[in-house]
Amino acid sequence: MKKFLSAISVSLAVALVVAGRPEGRPLQAAVGNALQGVPSKTRAHVQALASDRLEGRLAGSNGERLAGDYIVSQLQKIGAKALPGQRDFRLPFEFTAGTKDGGSSISVRLKPDTAGAQTSPPSVASGFARTFESDVRALSFSDNGDLDGTVVFAGYGIVVPESQDFGYDSYATLDVKDKIVVVLRYFPEDADQKTRSLLARYADLRYKAMAARQRGAKAMLVVTGPRSPNAGELVPMTFDTALAGSGLVAVSISGNVGAAIFRGADKTLEEAQKGLDSGNPHVAGFAIPDVNVHVRASVEREKKTGNNIVAYLPATEPIGTTSKPWVAIGAHYDHLGHGEAGNTLAGKDDAGKTHYGADDNASGSAAVLAVASTLAGQPRKRNVLVALWSGEELGLIGSNAFADKPPVPLNQLAAYLNFDMVGRMQDNKLSVQATGTSPAWGRILEQANIAAGFDLQLQADPYQPTDVATFNGASVPSLSFFTGTHADYHKPSDTADKIDYEDLDRVVDFAASIVRRIEDTADAPQFTKVDQQMQSGGGRAGVRIFTGTIPDYATDVKGLLLSGVIGGGPAEQAGLQKGDVIVEIAGQTIANIYDYTYALEVLKIGQPAKVIYTRDGKRRETTLTPAARK
Amino acid sequence: MNGFRPALAAALFAVPLAAMQTASTYQERDFLTRVRRLTIEGRRAGEGYWSPDGKRLVFQSEREPGNPFYQIYVLDLGTGDTKRISPGFGKTTCAFFRPNSDEIEFASTHADPKSKQLQQDELAFRASGKERRYAWDYDPEMDIYAYSEKTGAMKRLTTARGYDAEGSYSPDGQSIVFSSMRDAYNRPLDDKEKKKLAEDPSYFAEIYIMRADGSGQKRLTTVAGYDGGPFFTQDGKRIVWRRFDESGLIADVWTMNPDGSDQKQITDFGSMSWAPYMHPSGEYFLFASNKLGFENFEVFMVDAQGAKEPVRVTYSDGFDGLPVPSPDGKQLAWTSSRSGGSAGQLFLAEWNHEKALDALKNAPPKKPSRKS
Repeated sequence: MKKFLSAISVSLAVALVVAGRPEGRPLQAAVGNALQGVPSKTRAHVQALASDRLEGRLAGSNGERLAGDYIVSQLQKIGAKALPGQRDFRLPFEFTAGTKDGGSSISVRLKPDTAGAQTSPPSVASGFARTFESDVRALSFSDNGDLDGTVVFAGYGIVVPESQDFGYDSYATLDVKDKIVVVLRYFPEDADQKTRSLLARYADLRYKAMAARQRGAKAMLVVTGPRSPNAGELVPMTFDTALAGSGLVAVSISGNVGAAIFRGADKTLEEAQKGLDSGNPHVAGFAIPDVNVHVRASVEREKKTGNNIVAYLPATEPIGTTSKPWVAIGAHYDHLGHGEAGNTLAGKDDAGKTHYGADDNASGSAAVLAVASTLAGQPRKRNVLVALWSGEELGLIGSNAFADKPPVPLNQLAAYLNFDMVGRMQDNKLSVQATGTSPAWGRILEQANIAAGFDLQLQADPYQPTDVATFNGASVPSLSFFTGTHADYHKPSDTADKIDYEDLDRVVDFAASIVRRIEDTADAPQFTKVDQQMQSGGGRAGVRIFTGTIPDYATDVKGLLLSGVIGGGPAEQAGLQKGDVIVEIAGQTIANIYDYTYALEVLKIGQPAKVIYTRDGKRRETTLTPAARK
Repeated sequence: MNGFRPALAAALFAVPLAAMQTASTYQERDFLTRVRRLTIEGRRAGEGYWSPDGKRLVFQSEREPGNPFYQIYVLDLGTGDTKRISPGFGKTTCAFFRPNSDEIEFASTHADPKSKQLQQDELAFRASGKERRYAWDYDPEMDIYAYSEKTGAMKRLTTARGYDAEGSYSPDGQSIVFSSMRDAYNRPLDDKEKKKLAEDPSYFAEIYIMRADGSGQKRLTTVAGYDGGPFFTQDGKRIVWRRFDESGLIADVWTMNPDGSDQKQITDFGSMSWAPYMHPSGEYFLFASNKLGFENFEVFMVDAQGAKEPVRVTYSDGFDGLPVPSPDGKQLAWTSSRSGGSAGQLFLAEWNHEKALDALKNAPPKKPSRKS
């Protein structure tokens, strides 16, 4: 009785703290649970992981280490064991925590004219050489290297795969073996929308680098053309977590350097770009044989060590001939720290503060611990692997490191269930992603949801920005749970008091019953490969448009539901706001996030585009002027 | 019950959509809370009807391996277990629990020697990648059966040539009211009627009644145009059904006595209003209508006398229809395509009866007939 009373007073204290906030649900949840005498299965975990002391749990940081300590102790408490062959729950992996240019340089030299002085400007005839320091920057995925060679201008450097049935190959008529290629950033500026949208998908710099490398080029120089947005500017160093370079020296060069190289050609860079900008696939690049370039690329990569925490609950019944005797559950426990990795959405006032990541993903971590705790108290027909990943926010690094050298063969996993952002349920909606990975999911979800009673939003697509993608890639039937994004996403305001613990506990019960159903099936679910939509080649990285919209990825609303707009961005200036549904932009109808991404690729920076959207069920219209993404 | 009329889609597309937006201060969440999708497996599912104790639902779903057509399943809402009760081959539709009995009636074509071939043909068509609109074909081999949950035996209740389906029991379990197209086969047709039969056999559908063992089959309606989807009201004193006009474009909700007398039009909504079902309070009917656009069926409700304008219940794109309240009146099962795609699935929600009464009370009086 005493315990029960103290539970009420603790919960009420929490309730009072949150009472001043606009969110009513946590209050109801706290009181509701206390009055029923049911302690939350997840609250203590979320509060511990999203506490000040853990400082946002950035992979490789002290906060991540402290979070790991908490998780290890919780797993030990429920009797989990280290994986077979492992002594520890901690499975360390090394990763690149950041990149910077380590002093790249370039020099451009025009050979003394030998072919015919009359065709070259007089100043070239006697030779020309210049070294640039500030007009060059390595691309973040560049190899380090110091080399020289002659130059071939390869247009936009775009190669559209034959499967697309659209002949466009910037290298079709060029021999670039052992040459240094110069390519334009982005994709042809004046092509029709259909062509632009296709080419944009293969315009990512990594993709261009791959195309150049495959054709034997020894370096790629990228110049932002005079007719493009950000003309003449260097490409910013992006955050890149690869441990090594991409196998090619790749740098961006300024408009000055580009102009210097084109002094050896019979047209200017702008003229050359203009010829290409129609998107006509028959406009070719050309060699610039009289120019010799010496380039030195240096990328400094800071190495750090992160830790996945992985343990298991051994089966309590003899496994015998059970096919695939493992079931895995997992969530990432890392978050953004103070936002130093650049993936924060904090406004100016909040920049540098602790990103608590209560929903992202203390909620999912708590769910995994709670599901494991439930399963620990029951008979088990399969081993249950319990994984808390690190490095997810930096690009699924932890789960990928695990999958690269799995301590348990991945083909022994009957299934993987992932939890990422499951603490902010709205209107009883629970998204279940990756349902296309097995035909078994329909019946299992249907049965489990009869008791759980969620308004399930099913998404077949397993190519999600969370660790479920790793396991789909390893042909493991997978599911990922998600309660939707919100205005606090990737901001310091994603705090523990905003979590809906009552519904988070319902997700735990639902998932535990799914794991039991998988444990109980003699034949493990079959894996089905889902075709990847729209993300082949360059994918979204090809987008250089900034609209300032924050799409709601969880919804199945027809159109693009906005979960917010970025302050001062083009969307806000156009009068768009949270809850609006964009149904058409620049004459292109928008049915989903892919359509939207596709449409963005064909917008032009600075050119107003008509946007049709619905608000409160009414169709409205506005004009949005996209800005350039730097 | 099944009332999609794809042949008419093109004609109706010409009608301006949402020409008559009904202004309402209510929203879906006023009536429906904890909305959830019940069925997931299979291509489509729907027509969920409650067991008299409210613990189970019988429904139709395209989920039988190797059979592209509906089969009948019973879903236990306590355990989540689902069991097929129909033969597994052929087409089936429109199941209903018999009160005070272990029987469940449904319509099936499995006695047709061609039924398996038709499955193969349909699978081959789908494999070819071609698409057609969802079409209910009113298979003339469809007959009504009673399945015993105790013995697993099936008893054939109708034998007439022509589609016999859309059956439901009276509250005492002694009668079945159903729809039949036998009128197209049991008498000579004139040329106009022959043409109708080729184009749209549902023109010949009329309401019939029979005893639960199939005896005493009697015709209740004689008006040209599709009469279908009949159910008894909760007190067993009236039958509610939907009547299409002769063109097949407009349908409205009607009621009559179980002997066919006193036929009374409840709605006059100028759209395709069908699948009516009375709430167990006896206060109002729930039904589906495409008042807001041909493809946008929504659930509406109307007072039992039809004195007022119908009130909109659902607010989502695509199809919402076939509403069936639970026996205690606190939940609603219905068929919806709100989860995406064109195919419906079974949904369940808590039903706010008090809010529904409130909204019906505040509804404006029925507008004068649009036909006159």
